[in-house]
Amino acid sequence: MILRHTRLAGYSFVLPALVLMFVILLVPVLVAAVLSFTDYSLGNSTADWLAWKNYEKIFTRSSYQKMLWASALYVLIVVPVSIALGLAAALAIHSLRFGGNLYKTIYFLPVMAALLAMAIVWETALHPTIGIVNRSLEAGCGGWVETFFSWGWIPGVDPESSWYASSCQEGFPLWLGEKRYALATICFIGIWQAFGFNMVLYLAGLTGIPRELIHAAAMDGARSGWQRFRLVTWPMLGPTTVFVVTITAIRSFQVFDTVEALTEGGPSKTTYVMMYAIYEKAVEQNLMGMGSAITIVFLMLVMVMTALQRYMVERRVHYS
Amino acid sequence: MNTGTYSTTGELAKHAMLILGALIVILPFYVMVSFSLKSPQEIGTHAGGFFGSQQAFLDQYCVKLGNPEADCWRNPAAYNYGNAFKKAPLLRYLLNGVIVTVSIFVIQVLIALPCAYALAKLRFWGRELVFGLVLFCLLIPVHAIALPLYIMLANVGLTNTYAALVIPWTISVFGIFLMRQFFKTVPDDLIDAARMDGMSEFGIVWKVMLPCAIPALMAFAIFSVVAHWNDYFWPRVVLTGSRDLYTPPLGLREFQGGLDGADTGPLMATATVIVIPLLVAFLLAQRKFIEGITLSGMK
Repeated sequence: MILRHTRLAGYSFVLPALVLMFVILLVPVLVAAVLSFTDYSLGNSTADWLAWKNYEKIFTRSSYQKMLWASALYVLIVVPVSIALGLAAALAIHSLRFGGNLYKTIYFLPVMAALLAMAIVWETALHPTIGIVNRSLEAGCGGWVETFFSWGWIPGVDPESSWYASSCQEGFPLWLGEKRYALATICFIGIWQAFGFNMVLYLAGLTGIPRELIHAAAMDGARSGWQRFRLVTWPMLGPTTVFVVTITAIRSFQVFDTVEALTEGGPSKTTYVMMYAIYEKAVEQNLMGMGSAITIVFLMLVMVMTALQRYMVERRVHYS
Repeated sequence: MNTGTYSTTGELAKHAMLILGALIVILPFYVMVSFSLKSPQEIGTHAGGFFGSQQAFLDQYCVKLGNPEADCWRNPAAYNYGNAFKKAPLLRYLLNGVIVTVSIFVIQVLIALPCAYALAKLRFWGRELVFGLVLFCLLIPVHAIALPLYIMLANVGLTNTYAALVIPWTISVFGIFLMRQFFKTVPDDLIDAARMDGMSEFGIVWKVMLPCAIPALMAFAIFSVVAHWNDYFWPRVVLTGSRDLYTPPLGLREFQGGLDGADTGPLMATATVIVIPLLVAFLLAQRKFIEGITLSGMK
């Protein structure tokens, strides 16, 4: 009797979640897939069937190629740099005698802060006249700071042609307005925001490594810290790394706040990332078919990355 | 580490690098709070250090409106924070933020907890199938399907409502997964004892399982609230009309968009008001927050 009673309870407990999963997660994927073959826009009751035309555009038109390029570049910069910085910070903090927790707290602050708000603050900090960054750089001109960062003290380097010296002459860049710097600046903000998260995951990974293992490696002749890192710490952090790489990659793919608030995809589409393209095409220009096609391409990329991660975690891959 | 001799130079070098990093990390927070306390002149000339001189300044806008100069002297900090709340309905935005994040979390729990209990402890045909579906849905980031969701909501006339802000997040497959793993560790005897006492399955979920799950639930609450308080993308997509429904990040963006350049102080004050509550909560309960935010690390 109890069995039937619990079976009924089981179905009724699962049902609401099941319905929502279909309506909110699975049906939209199908809707996007179908619309991606059409030229649907809101307000129209019908739409024309375009077959693969939208997808063709994504892979042939220059503005969409720039979009794929900007997204790829962003991910390829933010993922390795934020992971390297997160790992370096974790290793340093883990081996400190004191003060480690303070750094951990500070480095985690950007993870908690609303990215949109901090993007706007960064814009102020990078402002050409009132910004603290360019003002500090300008303050270094003419003094020892310029001498040092012009690299003239390195034999064979011409200090006049260095970045710092020529910027002192011609003015420091508009970080968000110049083609050369805009994407790098957006990447910088992304890294600033993400590396504390990676650091915390690596710290958790590091505490999971038994000290005996490191002792044993030292006994066996792994003398230098680098050798112990390469032979013990890094392989032991393998599962953490797999996870950190995928989650950072998926999040970087979804970058939107900084781009929308600071560059709107410009200048000349250098920061035209996929999420922003979806927003611009679909929400601003009401080209739902095109937006859906980008959505599907985006979704495929994200799902492949997540599936890859699961596969690797289940195989318990260790780097060596 | 105990291996090798302990080196003071190494320790100092690490501190030097970490301090340099910390300065870069803190820089925007410094700019934000400092500018929110300064007068426009001090912002323009970088005078006054961190706190500004806090000397009264003449509000040009007030003079232009034809008021006598004597009535237009303002204290910078009071001016910035006052304008943050006056020029835009910041209080309304904050209230919206609270309404939306709290509703999302409550509904997520109402849906996820019974489902997680059923998947962990009840036997019925199709259970593994449902769990498989949960695992599959974990692959779909909601932001990625924002567009079809928006189209669906627009077709039933739900854009520009609180419902639109909440609905996509009502189902947290991650929450289901997390709570199921947690419920697996609750001993069956506890549940059997409750059944013996005549408690219904519904009662067991809320009176036996929920109290057991408080620590996991707290972590999930932090995860959920931080994500949705800070979320900008979804509100941006689904709110196209009135500012009455704006969440804090959207309100800040609106403020920035309508800026004539002289209002950096109030803008930074708005940013401070939006960012500080979570930062303070984080500083007070760091361990809990780090646990909650890195929850997704447990997948």
